[in-house]
Amino acid sequence: MPPAGGPEALSSGPGPRLPEVLSALARVALMNALQYRASFFVDFFVGSGNVVAILLPLAVVFGKTDSVAGWTWDQSLLVTGFFLMMSAVMGGLVEPNLGAVVEGIRQGQMDYILLKPVDAQLVASAQRVAPAKLWDGLSALVVIAWGLHGTGWPGFGPITAAFCLMIAGVMAMYSLWLLVICLSFWFVRVDNLRYLLGAVADAGRWPVDIYSGVARVFLTVVVPVALASSWPAMALLGRLDLALVVQAIAVSLGGFAFARWSWKRALASYTSASS
Amino acid sequence: MTDAGAGARETPSGAGILWRAMPTLWRVAVAGIVAYRAEMVIWILSATLPLVMLALWDAASAAGPLAGFGQADFARYFTVTMVVRQLTGSWVVWELNYMVRSGSLSPQLLRPVNPLVYNFFETLAAIPWRMIVLVPLLAGLVVWRPDIVFAPEGWRVCVFLVSVALAFAVAWLVQAIFGMLAFWFEEAMGVFSVHFALWSFFSGYIVPMALLPGWISGVARWLPFYASLGVPVDVLIGRAGLPEVAAQAGWVVILALAGRIMWARGIRRYGAVGA
Repeated sequence: MPPAGGPEALSSGPGPRLPEVLSALARVALMNALQYRASFFVDFFVGSGNVVAILLPLAVVFGKTDSVAGWTWDQSLLVTGFFLMMSAVMGGLVEPNLGAVVEGIRQGQMDYILLKPVDAQLVASAQRVAPAKLWDGLSALVVIAWGLHGTGWPGFGPITAAFCLMIAGVMAMYSLWLLVICLSFWFVRVDNLRYLLGAVADAGRWPVDIYSGVARVFLTVVVPVALASSWPAMALLGRLDLALVVQAIAVSLGGFAFARWSWKRALASYTSASS
Repeated sequence: MTDAGAGARETPSGAGILWRAMPTLWRVAVAGIVAYRAEMVIWILSATLPLVMLALWDAASAAGPLAGFGQADFARYFTVTMVVRQLTGSWVVWELNYMVRSGSLSPQLLRPVNPLVYNFFETLAAIPWRMIVLVPLLAGLVVWRPDIVFAPEGWRVCVFLVSVALAFAVAWLVQAIFGMLAFWFEEAMGVFSVHFALWSFFSGYIVPMALLPGWISGVARWLPFYASLGVPVDVLIGRAGLPEVAAQAGWVVILALAGRIMWARGIRRYGAVGA
């Protein structure tokens, strides 16, 4: 592949702009990922199996009862849909990158990222994509539409609130992952904490009200997966007032700022695998 | 390993070598688990899906029992499921898939003991450590819902132990067979992921067999999915008996034979591609 304008654009001038860097990164990431086309289609089956495995127990439960912790089948579908959407975004855009960072710290490729004249967090977070997660994103949309078909379509306000909350939730999860990655600058062996985090985040697939006290707070504040799954659903159903939405967004922005600050501290103490 | 190597030259019989190498294999396997104890803890804690499922069923049965399962029954069911899942947990499919694709299987084949046998010992050696890690989780569950504690009849405990051993064998053999697919297919892990979705539904991992629709459970009761997890759980809580355990034994024989044949053919193919 010829150097298509990207690298020169980055190194000349007063400093690369964010959109240019992002589009260059996205292009390279997509090209890299599209080398593996067969697995793109295999992942379609894997993703569909996963969606079915998440929906089936819900179907069995609602075959026996009409309402679980105040949620009907259609309303629960919304939560599951948003959960699948969050998983698709995390798995497609975030996890491949942060996994690569951990590998880079261990093997030394992290040095090359730091040498680039752009923000290291940006490069480290946007150098890889997993396009197969598009399937999961599509199935998430289908599940959400299915749920809305049952509950009735909300107006513009609730949809905007739900969308903003989803973005905020994903940002909060990203921040948490970044914090875990920061730990691996000091303790190289913590990288599989990521899998533990993923396992805990699995709890977000059900409406958060089914969890009892401590677990509910934990899933909203500590591992804020409910923010990305239950809360957008509640917004669509008109169960959240504007103040809560604004609060949630403010908290996730705060989390993001804290993660970024930790990342900078971690980079400052990075000594490279070779030295 | 030098003992085993010397043994290989004196006695060409496979069983004899294995017998003499067993103590050494066991010591090496235990040392391996001890070396990776921190990683093991994280892997063990990542198998929290039974708890996530418990939360859903617990909320669903808050108003009254579902198909004879009350809140205490669900708590017992998923607690035992979590323990059996740990007792029967293995990772041979990832290991074998990696070894075949990276070529690191080749040096292993020079050893007088089959690499799968070594993995089998390592899987067994992990069990005590798994149980230690589970203790705090179990304590937490008992505090949350004290009526989890129950006293099954003595004979059920005996049949349970036999059934767990058989379930371990079925689970390990199924994983080994999926791992061997790597001799033929690039996407063996994708196939395994699809299998996992089916397995989680038909094994009793996320839905107790008694709650599946009658015609599904009538068939699923005799499949290897259920034999690898659900049978011992249901034996202990009094929802399965000797016929299901006999089916487990049948599957062990069938899968072991299939595994032997596939290994013999796969190894020939592995050599044929020049690895």
